[in-house]
Amino acid sequence: MGKYIIKRLLYVFVVLILLTFILYNVYSLVPQNRAYTDAKTEVNSMKNMLKPEELNAKFDELYLKYQRLYGTDTNNKIVRYLRWVGVWPFYDGHCNGLLQGNFGYSWEERADVITVIGEPMKNTLFLNLFVTVIALGVTIPLGIHCAVKRGSVLDKTVQVVTIIGHSLPIFIFCIFFIFIFCSLLGWLPPSGMKTPGSNYTGWKWFWDRVYYMILPIITLTFSSLAYMTRLTRTAMLDALSMDCIRTARAKGVRERTVIYSHAWRNALIPIITVVIGWFLGLFGGSMITESMFALNGMGTLFLKSMRTADYDVIMLIECFYVFIGLVGNLITDLVYGLVDPRVRVNK
Amino acid sequence: MSKKKGIINWFRRLLFPGKELKELADQQLNEKKEEKQVTEKDVIEITSPGKQVAQKFFRNKLAVGALIVVFLMFCFVIFAPKFMKNYSDSYTEITQKNVPPTLTMMSVPKKLQSEGIKSIDGYGSFSIGLSNAGNVYIWGATQINTTGIDIGDIPEEVQNANILYVAAGVDHCIAIDDQGKIYGWGNNRMGQYGYSEEAENDPSVVVMPQELHENGIPNVNDIKKVACGWQCTAILMNDGTLYIWGNMHTYANLEKFVDKQGLVDIDFTLNYIVGLDKKGQTIFSGLRKMYEDVREDTVMGSTTKIKEFVKAHGKKIVGIEATSNSVVLIMKDGTLGFVGDLPLEAVGMPKLEEGEYFLPETLSAGTYHITGITNKGNVYSWGGNHFGQASVPKKVAAMKVDETYKIFTGAFQNYLVDGQGKLIEKWGLNGYIFGTDTYGADQFQRIANGGLMTMTIGAVAVIIEIIIGIIIGCIAGYCGGWVDILLMRIAEVVGNIPLLPFALALSALLAQVNMSATMRIFILMCIIGVLSWTGIAYMLRAQILLARESEYVLAAKSMGVRETRIAVKHILPNVLSVILVQITLGFASCMLTESSMSYLGFGVSYPQPTWGNMLNAATNSTVIKNYWWQWVFTSLFLSITTVCINTVGDALRDALDPKSSSKE
Repeated sequence: MGKYIIKRLLYVFVVLILLTFILYNVYSLVPQNRAYTDAKTEVNSMKNMLKPEELNAKFDELYLKYQRLYGTDTNNKIVRYLRWVGVWPFYDGHCNGLLQGNFGYSWEERADVITVIGEPMKNTLFLNLFVTVIALGVTIPLGIHCAVKRGSVLDKTVQVVTIIGHSLPIFIFCIFFIFIFCSLLGWLPPSGMKTPGSNYTGWKWFWDRVYYMILPIITLTFSSLAYMTRLTRTAMLDALSMDCIRTARAKGVRERTVIYSHAWRNALIPIITVVIGWFLGLFGGSMITESMFALNGMGTLFLKSMRTADYDVIMLIECFYVFIGLVGNLITDLVYGLVDPRVRVNK
Repeated sequence: MSKKKGIINWFRRLLFPGKELKELADQQLNEKKEEKQVTEKDVIEITSPGKQVAQKFFRNKLAVGALIVVFLMFCFVIFAPKFMKNYSDSYTEITQKNVPPTLTMMSVPKKLQSEGIKSIDGYGSFSIGLSNAGNVYIWGATQINTTGIDIGDIPEEVQNANILYVAAGVDHCIAIDDQGKIYGWGNNRMGQYGYSEEAENDPSVVVMPQELHENGIPNVNDIKKVACGWQCTAILMNDGTLYIWGNMHTYANLEKFVDKQGLVDIDFTLNYIVGLDKKGQTIFSGLRKMYEDVREDTVMGSTTKIKEFVKAHGKKIVGIEATSNSVVLIMKDGTLGFVGDLPLEAVGMPKLEEGEYFLPETLSAGTYHITGITNKGNVYSWGGNHFGQASVPKKVAAMKVDETYKIFTGAFQNYLVDGQGKLIEKWGLNGYIFGTDTYGADQFQRIANGGLMTMTIGAVAVIIEIIIGIIIGCIAGYCGGWVDILLMRIAEVVGNIPLLPFALALSALLAQVNMSATMRIFILMCIIGVLSWTGIAYMLRAQILLARESEYVLAAKSMGVRETRIAVKHILPNVLSVILVQITLGFASCMLTESSMSYLGFGVSYPQPTWGNMLNAATNSTVIKNYWWQWVFTSLFLSITTVCINTVGDALRDALDPKSSSKE
């Protein structure tokens, strides 16, 4: 097992480096030159003090200085990438990259990316945790019920509803729910994170937050119900058709025990593996929901940064998504080995 | 030749039972018959796998229904745009913004028809009619934007009064009764009618004269013309007195008209008020060099200066009619002159016979078209023909009307009324089945054209996806060894890239590069296709591995069949089902990806419609609540299409899976 984990970790590491390299190069295609802009602004501020020839010389000097500072004094893509990661020294001999805690600078917010990204990430986590708990609480009992009562009216209805839920883009759910809950019924706020102008603390803050989060949570949950319900149903169906279930029934074990103890345990294996991947996938998927409900989350930040061409932020979020995906794969593999004793992962 | 035949044979065997099989079956049947008497039940019909799949698929009623819907949807998006000759992506019409679905824009109320039509007026999405009995009727799209005002709710006092004059603006109505009292209803935010404190304090509003809204018009019979424009109203008296009030932002030259005396005619274009004074030498607009160049035909022809034109044609202008961007001059000698522009697709002015001229009082102008009756009793419409408003029906074109007939035009409608006020014929725009969007374009047309775009993007993306997937999956599965490992690692890397964020970022990056819209759309297709091939590659590889290990391939190998032959004849049929299912499901998911991207504003952008970016308008709750038609129809089309494609895909997968029959 230990060997397998190390092997997987190594593999994840290689893929991560490859992907970030691709991403880095894609974003370095952007026609923006921070050193040039900085040097230009500084020279412009000195315009009145120097003669034109001196200005040019000064600009060249400053440009070089800033290029060295930002690590763009070379055209070697690999060196630049390594500097960005933090394993290749800059001109002054020090490393200053991701590993040293330098995650880039947001032009739009005039702050380090790491501070820009902190609050949105907390919000997204809050949202996704809620959604996961609720979605699992609904889908798993529903899936089991449908599998056990296969062919019943409920099962058929759920089958139809889930294929609809599975095929619709999430923004249609958003529009639809806003229309029902905000426009028609007027129960919930259509967007925002808190009551405007309010400065609550403690429990009051929490309930206010929950009040504003209800609709996004409902939307996200509803859109993910379909997939999870179908998965649980199929897994349960497979489990129920196993020989051991027939044996258990033949021995006269109570139906309840057969379903929840014998079959469910077997069905759990595929479900667990998918749940992890699905939870991590929520991070990317909640982008549309967040922007629709004007939540200050990662997705909104991502879209906003793309509109303002704030590429350091985009780069970091993108890397975060990639990282999350890879970790998800790794955990899935490992858990798969843990819950299913038949899978030999030592190979 | 033989290769071609081979392919045909291959398909034949896939879809129809092979000759050899039939012979074999007959042989067995005969043997059995020899042994004992067989009943019909014992005869096992041999069907090819293809036929079996088809049978299984068509037994699933839901799937067949879904298939029909998908087929109809395909037909709709492919053929419907062909019939929309005057559709253009960037069409905008400011007076038709956010019009709800209605087909009643020409439905003159029966009561009005029975009472006799006295006059009809229209400027925006609704029309107002006045009967000979002095009653007011309104039809068309009467909901005024988000204000919640329904202009169709005619105030009770108006219903009780004996109305003599009516006029309709874009969001308000004016009626004057026989006592001279002026009634107004609709939106009054910019002081379109009546007095309001809000309007009084707004510097951009010319408020209605106090004596008018308190005492009304002193002498009703002296009114020459009542006209409404965009949030603006004008009443012109016979003695040249002009009462005018409304929003200065919509009419930049409104101030010039406020104390103007001595006009004999007035009308509203979209941006300017135009007037005619007693001398009739030029158009009064209060602005210099606005209306200088005159043409004799609406669309073509050289221009002459207005002074010379007036000199040449009776030395006097007797009346003016304004469309959205142009003004028609009615000359003393009966000829017409045109100032300004008409839309590009406009119908030219008809050629009149010698001595034939338009009766000045019958000439009437809509938003882009002009309709009139000549002294010889012919009815002609010309100008903008986007909604068929300049196409006179055959019945009307064939008949000769007498002098008592009248023509009334709404914004895009024409009504031909006889001397008794009976409606003879109407033509033009009767409404929008799916309403209009924020730019005033017909949603139905945009949905048809947007569907074509969405489906094309989905189809091309899925083809790219399938091609890459097949190549990589097949090579990996067939070659095995280090090639397999390498390709699968690449697939894993690509598969780990989060699709939507990365596609969005790439699209945003490419938006900075200067290229044509078509090129951008093609790149969008490539992005979606290139990022989503991994699923099918994995599946194909697994299928091929399974097939490679199977006994029949081993048997074929041991018989010395060539590798390529094994691949084509034995393995390909097995993986075909996977490809087919993936094409269906992948098509739906590519459409969804495109829609999501366009919805967020990083896919196909505005003038070009797709189902995704049409829904982009519905990003705030005001639109969602008030303009429900702007998202309901589009999302219905998108949802129905993707749901049905997925249903077909699922059913296909079940039908192709030999094990699924035991599950059911």
